[in-house]
Amino acid sequence: MQYCRQCHIHMRGSRKRCILCGKTLVSTDCQTDREEVFPEIPPTYERHLALRILVFISITAIAVSLALEMILSTAVNWPLFVIFGVFSTWLGFIVVLWKRHNIPKAILWQVVIVSLLSVFWDWQTAWRGWSLEYFIPIIYVAAEMVMYITARAMKIRVREYITYALLDSIFGIIPALFILFHLVDVLYPSIICVTVSIIFLAGIFIFQGENIVKELKKKTHL
Amino acid sequence: MKQQKEIEWTSLEIASKLYPATWSLKDPKVFRISCELDQIVSMAHLQQALDLTIDDFPLYRCVLKRGLFWYYLEESNIQPKVSPEAKAVCAPIYMGKKSDLLFRVSFYRKRINLEVFHALADGTGALLFLQTLICHYLTIKSDDFTGIVLANEHSSLSSVRENSFDKYFIGGMRKIKKPGKPKKAYQIRGTRLSENRMQLIEGVMSTHSVLREAHKYQTTLTVFLASLFIYAIGSEMKAKKRIHPVVLAIPVNLRQYFQSVTARNFFSYINIGYRFEKHTDPLSQVIRDTEKLFKEQLTAENLNDVSNKYLAIEQNMLSRIILLPIKDLILRLASRLAKRQSTSSLSNLGIITMPPEFDGIIHSFSFCTNANRPQMNVCSYKDVLTVSISSPFRETDIQKNFFRLLSQAGISIEIAANL
Repeated sequence: MQYCRQCHIHMRGSRKRCILCGKTLVSTDCQTDREEVFPEIPPTYERHLALRILVFISITAIAVSLALEMILSTAVNWPLFVIFGVFSTWLGFIVVLWKRHNIPKAILWQVVIVSLLSVFWDWQTAWRGWSLEYFIPIIYVAAEMVMYITARAMKIRVREYITYALLDSIFGIIPALFILFHLVDVLYPSIICVTVSIIFLAGIFIFQGENIVKELKKKTHL
Repeated sequence: MKQQKEIEWTSLEIASKLYPATWSLKDPKVFRISCELDQIVSMAHLQQALDLTIDDFPLYRCVLKRGLFWYYLEESNIQPKVSPEAKAVCAPIYMGKKSDLLFRVSFYRKRINLEVFHALADGTGALLFLQTLICHYLTIKSDDFTGIVLANEHSSLSSVRENSFDKYFIGGMRKIKKPGKPKKAYQIRGTRLSENRMQLIEGVMSTHSVLREAHKYQTTLTVFLASLFIYAIGSEMKAKKRIHPVVLAIPVNLRQYFQSVTARNFFSYINIGYRFEKHTDPLSQVIRDTEKLFKEQLTAENLNDVSNKYLAIEQNMLSRIILLPIKDLILRLASRLAKRQSTSSLSNLGIITMPPEFDGIIHSFSFCTNANRPQMNVCSYKDVLTVSISSPFRETDIQKNFFRLLSQAGISIEIAANL
């Protein structure tokens, strides 16, 4: 073991200097007990290179579109589109990253964000009604299918995805309101979406009712 | 459809409700208890021992989940794996997202380390787990030991997972005399190590020689070490900072005061403060004042009041129905404010006992917590007292002051450091 003459302490391991005062250590006996007590842990650099490239591309795209707009001055406000586009991509991307450990939850979040964004885009592009007529019903049905298939394929336990499947199916009923309040002219996508969701809901309640009650009790305990 | 196994879940007890809300990469709320043996640890045997131990502590198989209002522990079927030590000391365990176990067992050469996220258990609770693990390991490793029982082995599975707070405290506030506006305590500053690593310095010494020194001042080991630590911090204080007292937060194991063998959290805090008037305050005066404060605060009645106060907040309907993300924010803010009222903390795990058959085989135990400021942890096994100071800072002046105070008193110290 080694010794520090300033601090009057013995030092384990093979270091050259005293950890307390930084003075050089002297060996008291020969080679006994120079074993390290702790392993050396190399630094773990987390670089997230892909993320940095994405940030770089986003900023470049926005800057270039602003520059082009000023030079060419087109009729359509292109920079605004680029900014919204970048914003939408980032929003989707961040949510996926954030919820990546819980896939059913990530799907649910994605559904909410994508449907809100679609309404926003539709509204910003002269409101042709495509978001409510086609996009939202299709995305809801797709989400119900995707959630069921991934859950089965990844062998996620029923109770881990049942609340999300339930919420997703409830979302699927929303297009009924579109029809009710005459918000849509093309009806069949909404009708299909509501029908599929009702079937899903019935299935969930009839076959997994107890699981849902237990899950809710657990999730909402006060 | 396949019959599903009933999934058990447990709500968190009051002390552990704080940790999932207030963890951060700088302060991951992780602590470590290690046991050093006289032989190189075998990974295969340790895994076998862990497989046995986890069956004795089903709660350790739980993962932490978010509900709408509170976090809760849910049983999982994840099988814990031992691994060679490859992460920084007290590296984060719970990071908010992935559902994983709340503890980690690793080993390096002769050491077995148990690292635990504080929401799962406190030091004493986790020690119970480590003791069982070591017992299993040594019995598997050698045929010499059979029928060895730990002192607390007779406790039932349900008693080690009970919520002892709810058992002993009813909540509700008794009129406590206002101690006046809480004062801001002195805060230690320094240069942070990269990657939020921490500097761990462990000093190993003879329990008896430290006790003999403590007895010279007619005081106990904890009071003596606390006073030395306060003194070591005080010696580094700048003159104009001396208006702030040095305050140590000291966790108290409530199992000593209320009958309980729970392997979960069951502790409270007391605060010990000392204001340095001038640079020359003698150590004896610090010890005298510290001793007085310990005596005043370490009464069952006082601990009762503190725990009931916290329980009252938990039981308050308003605080219950706040949604979890908002609750997280409030708790985070509150703990940041509370942190200002203390300078550091000192946690004494106490005397660790193991079956006498293992006498020559177990060399020592050590205990440390992750630190977002320099703090001290103490435990002892037989005549081996381990004092660990963990710090997020590069500077080691407080550690130097502390250990020099002991070595100047003629106590022989062996130091080990991780960086």
